[in-house]
Amino acid sequence: MSARRIPTGGLIDRSRTVPFTFDGKAYTGFAGDTLAAALLANGITLIGRSFKYHRPRGVFTAGVDEPNALVTVFKDGVREPNIPATQIELYEGLVAESQNRFPSLDYDISALNQLAGPLFGAGFYYKTFMGPVVGPLKGTRFWMFCEHFIRRAAGLGRAGYDKDPARYERMNAFCDVLVVGAGPAGLMAAEAAAKAGKRVILAEQEPRAGGAANWSGETIGGKPAALWAEAAAERLAAMDNVRLLTRTAVWGYYDGNNLAALERVGDHLAAAPKGAPRHRHWSIRAEKVVLATGSFERPIVFPGNDRPGVMLAGAAERYANQFGVLPGEKIAIFTNNDGAYRAAAALKKAGGAVVAILDVRPEISAAARALAEEAGVVPLLGHAVAGTAGKRLAKVLIQRFDAATGRLSGDVRPVEADCLAVSGGWSPAIHLASQAGRNPAWDDRLNAFLPPQPTQEWTGAGAFTGAMSTAEALSSGRDAGLIAAGKKASRAKLPEVAAPPLEAGPAPVFEIKAEGKAFVDLQNDVTADDVRLAHREGFVSVEHLKRYTTLGMATDQGKTSNVPGLAIMAGARGLAIPEVGTTRFRPPFSPVSIGSLAAEKHGHFKPDRLTPMHDWHVERGARMMEVGLWHRPMVYGEAGETVEQTYIREAATVRASVGIVDVSTLGKIAVKGPDAAEFLDRVYTNMFSTLAVGKARYGLMLREDGIALDDGTTWRLGEHDFLMTTTTANAGKVMQHLEYYLDVVWPDLKVHLASVTDQWAGAAVAGPNARKVLEACVTETAVDNEALPFMGIVHGGIAGAPVMICRLSFSGELAYEVYCGAGHGTHVWEALMEAGEAFGITPYGMEALGTLRIEKGHVTGAEIDGRTTARDLYLDWMLSKKKPFIGSALMDREGLIDTNRIRLVGVVSLDGRPLGGGAHIVEKGSLEELGESIGHITAFCYSPALSKYIGLALVKGGKARHGTRAFVSDALRKRFGPVEIVSHHFFDPEGSRMHG
Amino acid sequence: MVERVSPLGEAFRPGTYGNLAEGPGVTLTEATPAAIAEASAFPGSTEPLLAAIETVTGLSLPATPGAGAVGDGAAVFAIGPGRYLVSGAEGLSASLQAAVALDIGTVTDLSHGRAALRIAGPRAEWVLAKLFALDFSPAAFPVGEGRATAHHDVFAHIQRTGGDQFDIYVFRSFARAFWQELCAAAEETGYEVG
Repeated sequence: MSARRIPTGGLIDRSRTVPFTFDGKAYTGFAGDTLAAALLANGITLIGRSFKYHRPRGVFTAGVDEPNALVTVFKDGVREPNIPATQIELYEGLVAESQNRFPSLDYDISALNQLAGPLFGAGFYYKTFMGPVVGPLKGTRFWMFCEHFIRRAAGLGRAGYDKDPARYERMNAFCDVLVVGAGPAGLMAAEAAAKAGKRVILAEQEPRAGGAANWSGETIGGKPAALWAEAAAERLAAMDNVRLLTRTAVWGYYDGNNLAALERVGDHLAAAPKGAPRHRHWSIRAEKVVLATGSFERPIVFPGNDRPGVMLAGAAERYANQFGVLPGEKIAIFTNNDGAYRAAAALKKAGGAVVAILDVRPEISAAARALAEEAGVVPLLGHAVAGTAGKRLAKVLIQRFDAATGRLSGDVRPVEADCLAVSGGWSPAIHLASQAGRNPAWDDRLNAFLPPQPTQEWTGAGAFTGAMSTAEALSSGRDAGLIAAGKKASRAKLPEVAAPPLEAGPAPVFEIKAEGKAFVDLQNDVTADDVRLAHREGFVSVEHLKRYTTLGMATDQGKTSNVPGLAIMAGARGLAIPEVGTTRFRPPFSPVSIGSLAAEKHGHFKPDRLTPMHDWHVERGARMMEVGLWHRPMVYGEAGETVEQTYIREAATVRASVGIVDVSTLGKIAVKGPDAAEFLDRVYTNMFSTLAVGKARYGLMLREDGIALDDGTTWRLGEHDFLMTTTTANAGKVMQHLEYYLDVVWPDLKVHLASVTDQWAGAAVAGPNARKVLEACVTETAVDNEALPFMGIVHGGIAGAPVMICRLSFSGELAYEVYCGAGHGTHVWEALMEAGEAFGITPYGMEALGTLRIEKGHVTGAEIDGRTTARDLYLDWMLSKKKPFIGSALMDREGLIDTNRIRLVGVVSLDGRPLGGGAHIVEKGSLEELGESIGHITAFCYSPALSKYIGLALVKGGKARHGTRAFVSDALRKRFGPVEIVSHHFFDPEGSRMHG
Repeated sequence: MVERVSPLGEAFRPGTYGNLAEGPGVTLTEATPAAIAEASAFPGSTEPLLAAIETVTGLSLPATPGAGAVGDGAAVFAIGPGRYLVSGAEGLSASLQAAVALDIGTVTDLSHGRAALRIAGPRAEWVLAKLFALDFSPAAFPVGEGRATAHHDVFAHIQRTGGDQFDIYVFRSFARAFWQELCAAAEETGYEVG
């Protein structure tokens, strides 16, 4: 055994044993363990294989910075790869597997990769798989061919294909002060702001508040620091104006002090409570932010620094103090600073044997010396680790080292050790600050980047600012909280901290140069030599270095590797570190589930928009179709009917007797006010001020550039009261267009717009018997030709409900649109159905509606497609010459009046086969030899009135081609055949039926 | 008089749902008033429009953004500069129309065009915060005030009509979809439909 659980101590609950499995084997841990802690407690130190070389890897850290111990978690039938074992809280029944190994973790065949050692350096693949200059694999094609195989060999965990059944939610939060990080500094800041009466959110990524207090071994206010933190968190949680969010990582700092956070609500539970999300995405809008995000320990780069058993000193200390786990029996310490001495003493106290402390410095502080004494070992000053041995760490190779020259000297001596705790100094966690600040500043004392000047409303506290002691954390935390609350810093007494007076600054030693692979980025298998190779090949900018070597990429985003990588590049270039620069940190700080970003939109991308008669259509067996957000009946099929048979029957019934269609989806805009008529004259191409009250008129709108925008009828209900209808698809666009003109261009016009689309249910009753149907059910008004002429409007009642009826026709038949309050829609519809029963009335859907309008040559969005003009559609008769209107200035541009533009025509299939929407019209050619397109089909149907397949098309020259032949050419659907080009007015071109 | 049919249809199912470990955290009901109208003032005429609204509803409110008032059988709140959503008893739109002179502003009846969904209970703010990027705390959103916002494609006009009660006015055609969204959001806290 190497790593093991110690009999007492830690913040775990030893009364609650938690069973779990790793790589199929059953183990147990305790409540409060992470998976990493529980594995170490079970003596498992080999946890994964590395990205490129498949080298054995263990646990390197104890937190969110973990680069090595990535596992796949199986939960609710879903596999989730690449989760750091240090971030997985143990729960009963947890199932995890190691990754990137075959056939097993212990014996991985691809580990042979590392024998080819130097071959696989940075840029190897790009250079090696560059194809020949000529031939089928020239250029990058060879790479693309090889890439598939390479990707399989490299990489991390495998993603699953199953649908994620978990629930994700979004939460919008507002607060006066957001404190990020609930270590001693964050706790003090939150309490100070809360006591000042501010609304506070305190977010902590770990399951428990306290940060380093949970493992520092220090005391605060006479209590063990962890207990002090626990009490502080409890006080905060009890305050009404504080929201304490644990398991919540703030990962993005956006403009307007809007921060994004991920709360892992259910990951630590075997089963989520009903309705609870797995993850909650928090969008937090904070007046002020206090960043108390602490710092990350850095490794020192040396050969063999990736062997299982090598870990950060702070992590080793944390495993001992927080989890009651010794990461090894024989522990060696390697450091360039005082901090590791505290770890040495803690590990000794936990029952481990500290076999050596190697310090690159020639001198150390008295406090460090005292801690070494506690650890029972005399530190070897001026020494370094030159290498390691063992599949799992067995030996540490040590040598004399001169920190001034960076040179090793003397004999290599092996020291037996199964754990090597390394510390290369501490870097403030400035990620969020970097997203909301200028460039970070290099600090020569800490050999680290300090937070930049803010560009948003934040202040910092604690180790984040470079103030590494707990006493400084308490005072800077309280001050930051007070300042964020608009108060002055306080001089009141703070809780006493009992801690060894260690020096925070490390010696500027980042790398020990010796024989063997020395890793800078453990997650991406980037070595110190890779960084130097990048330098030799000209990738000297940090941005290029990152992209060439992948240093700092993937799930850990280089939390342990950024500064060492930079230092090695600086060394290669002969520059100081700040002269080389730093990569700025982008969101996210730590991995974010895509599900949490989709939240409630997951699996449901848009709301269903239903007409008032929706349930009636569904009960009647209508096949519904989605038109934008709307659901509309496509056909009301009867048993055994195809869609085509159904719409032909429906359309034929309309022409022969009467049909009814739901037109509630038409956009409806109330246009009101003393200047309403004037406004309509300006937005429509034709006149509306001349329209009599109680009459409707067909109108056309153009865009500013002279292209057709939309069409529809507008009804004058009163002198200053119009009801505009738009096409279903363009309702929103037209509303925006009109509002823009009223707000920006003509604010002097006294006109108001209101969307009343949903106010009215609309039913169009069409067919030669339509009037008879109305006569049978309409009360309080006559509907004969005199009372209700073409384009007339009357008010009356149907079955007790008030209705407004306008006689207008889209189908070309005698037709009426019956409008009533939406809540009365089904009632009136049913009354119309009943009145129509004697005439064999049929409800008809979108297909029949389309068929009837194609037969009449009426245009819709398929023809008003954003490219056509009024002339293209033969609607130039609607362009008033008496007044200007939107689009009139540009509609006569040369390009828009060219006679060879594609213009509206009808086409008839001459081979008795259907046409297809979007199919090209050609003058000659075949399926094999595509001819030159002279236009395309916009809509098609089988016409029951003509007993032919017909369509509308936009064809070059338009009318000039009437009576000529061409071909429909549809390579996609393999359709080629003769058509005749005719007038788009196929049926009743004189309009005698609708005027009758 | 013909009954106005609710847009919720069978999606409205009285009962308790979701996580009831701590009892239903919210109650969801349909609270569409008999009449809903939008009253809008022309620029510079907000004060006379508000006077007309007060004459009809008895509710007075300042001409400030988000202002609103709730009374017995009537409610009003701002949904834009000079624009107000007024709800009340049958005949409201006609009364308003008569009270608002032609050069002051306009009145549009929306009694059938909007549906009001009510959420009430101790977790109402929490559930609504899932759907809207608004601060629902009483300090930021006092009783009577209103907000015009949207949940993705669904426009929503929200009025706080009680200490822990909000009325959400949505376009009628979206009412069922939004109701279902609201129910789903309330599963975590448990909800009662009634």
